[in-house]
Amino acid sequence: MLSHSALCRLARESSPDTRYSPDTARRILRYGAPVGSYIEHHHHLSRCMDHLRYLVHEGNSVSTPDTGSVVWADKLSDSSGRFSRPWHAPPGGLYLALLWADTLLPEFSRQIPFAAGIACCETISSLGPSARIKWVNDLHVGDKKISGILSEAMAGPDDEWFHLIGIGINVNNTVFPEELQGKATALRIETGRCFDLEEVCSLLLARLQWNFGLLYYAEEQWMAGADRTAVAKKGPLLERWLELSDTPGRLVLYGYDVQKKPLYQAKAMDIDAIGGLIMKLADGSQVTEYSGEILYV
Amino acid sequence: MASEKIHFDEIISKYRSDPYDYVDMYAVHTGLVRFLVDDGIEVQGVSGEWNHIPGSNLYEITRERNPKVITSKTNGTVSYLNKEVEGKFVEAGTKLLTVRHPLKKKEIIEAILQEVLYLFIAPERARYYFSMDVQSRIDQKGARSIVINPGDEIITMSLMKRDTPVYYDGEAGILHSVYFSPGDSIDQGVPLLGVCPEEKLAVVQKIITRVKAEWE
Repeated sequence: MLSHSALCRLARESSPDTRYSPDTARRILRYGAPVGSYIEHHHHLSRCMDHLRYLVHEGNSVSTPDTGSVVWADKLSDSSGRFSRPWHAPPGGLYLALLWADTLLPEFSRQIPFAAGIACCETISSLGPSARIKWVNDLHVGDKKISGILSEAMAGPDDEWFHLIGIGINVNNTVFPEELQGKATALRIETGRCFDLEEVCSLLLARLQWNFGLLYYAEEQWMAGADRTAVAKKGPLLERWLELSDTPGRLVLYGYDVQKKPLYQAKAMDIDAIGGLIMKLADGSQVTEYSGEILYV
Repeated sequence: MASEKIHFDEIISKYRSDPYDYVDMYAVHTGLVRFLVDDGIEVQGVSGEWNHIPGSNLYEITRERNPKVITSKTNGTVSYLNKEVEGKFVEAGTKLLTVRHPLKKKEIIEAILQEVLYLFIAPERARYYFSMDVQSRIDQKGARSIVINPGDEIITMSLMKRDTPVYYDGEAGILHSVYFSPGDSIDQGVPLLGVCPEEKLAVVQKIITRVKAEWE
C-alpha cells in the first residue's frame, strides 16, 4: 500500500481541476490530506463500518483513531446497504470505510455524502467507464450499479462526533447473485481488464483527499463572505457534483425507502445550495427533498 | 415540566378566551423587505398530498439581487405587520409579521400537552425514524410502555443519505406523544416526542380527559 506521503503526492498529481490556482489547489489538498493517514488492511471482515466503530470505541485505550483513518477489506461476510439491503462483497471488489471527525459546519457536513460520491465517480471514470451519479451518491455505469456508499455518524467515547463513510466498488468481481443480475456491473466487466486493487484504492483515497478538501474550501469561501446567515449558492463541490450527475432532467420516483414505498413521481430539476433535490410534480408545483432516495423512471 | 398542581380552569379559560396560535415570522436572512400582504388579510398554509403546495405569499426579501418569496406555513389572519421595515434593509431574525391561526380542539389538546410534557425537538430539518431497538419495543408493547432515559439512542436522523443517531437528553419518562411517523420530513425545532415522567402520567391524562369533555 502507498505510504501517506505517496498518497498525498498522488492526490496532487491526479487533481484534474485546472480552475483552481496552484496555491488554492494546495490549500484544498491540505484540508483533505488526513484521508488515508492510517490504513488498516484485512483479508476478511464482517463489515468495515463495524470494525471502524470498534476501533473508535475499543480499539485503542489511549485515543480514538485519527480522522482520515481507513479500514480496507478484501471481502466482507455480513455487508449490507441502507435499510439492511444486501450488498454482495466477494473477493475482487474494493471495500473500505473512512473515519472523519465532525469538524464542518452543519451546512457543509451534510455534503460529505456528495464528496464521497464524487470521489468514487472520478475514480471509476479515470479507469475507463463513464460513471454517473444519481442523487445523492449512487454510482452507475449505463443503467447498472457499480458502487455503493453508506454514510453514518457516530459519537465517540469522549462525545466527539465522527462521520463513517463506507464505500464498495465492484472492481474485478464479475459474478453477482441472482437478484442483482442485470442490475450490477464491475470495472472488469466494463473494460475487459483486471485491475490492481491497491492501485484502485490509492486512486480512490487520492480523490477523497481532493473532494473532502474541496468541501472545506467551500466552507472557507462561505465563511469569508459578507452574509453568513444562509448558504445562498452552490459551492465548488456541488458544482462538481452537477457536472458528474445525470439526475437533473430525469423523471424519478421518490421515496424515503423508494424500493419498498415509493411516494411520488416527479421530474428532477436541480439541487439547491446545500444539495437538496429540487423536483417538479405533475401539477407544476415544486418540492425540495433533503433525504430519501430516487429511482430513475 | 409544569408543576403537578395544574390549574385546569385557568388553562382551559385561557384557550377559551383566545383560541389562537400566534405564529411570528422573522426575516430568514438579511435583505430588502417588501410585504405581499396587508394587515387583517387571510392567508393559507401549505397544502397538497406531500405538503408541496406553498402557502400564501407573505413577503419578499432580496439579497444581492436575488429575491426570495417567503410563504405562510399555516392558515390564519395577518394580525401584525411591521410596516416600518417595508422597503428597507433588515437583519436576519427581524420580526416582520404575525399570523393568527385559529386552533382546532385537537390542536388545543396538543398545545396544552406541549406545555406540560418534556418536548424533544428535531435538531435539523431531516427525516426521522426510531432506532431499531425502540421501534421493536413500540411494535411489541406500544409507545406508552417505553421508558426513556437521558443518553438513550432513540431516533435516527436521515439527511442526505447519512444516518445519525440522536440521543435523548431530556428528563427520564414515558414516551407519551409521538409527533411524527417514521420517515416523515420534519422541520428543525418541531417537536418529535413528548415525554412524561411516570409519576405525572395521571395528571397529564386528566388534562386530556378534561379538555375533551369540556371543549365544544
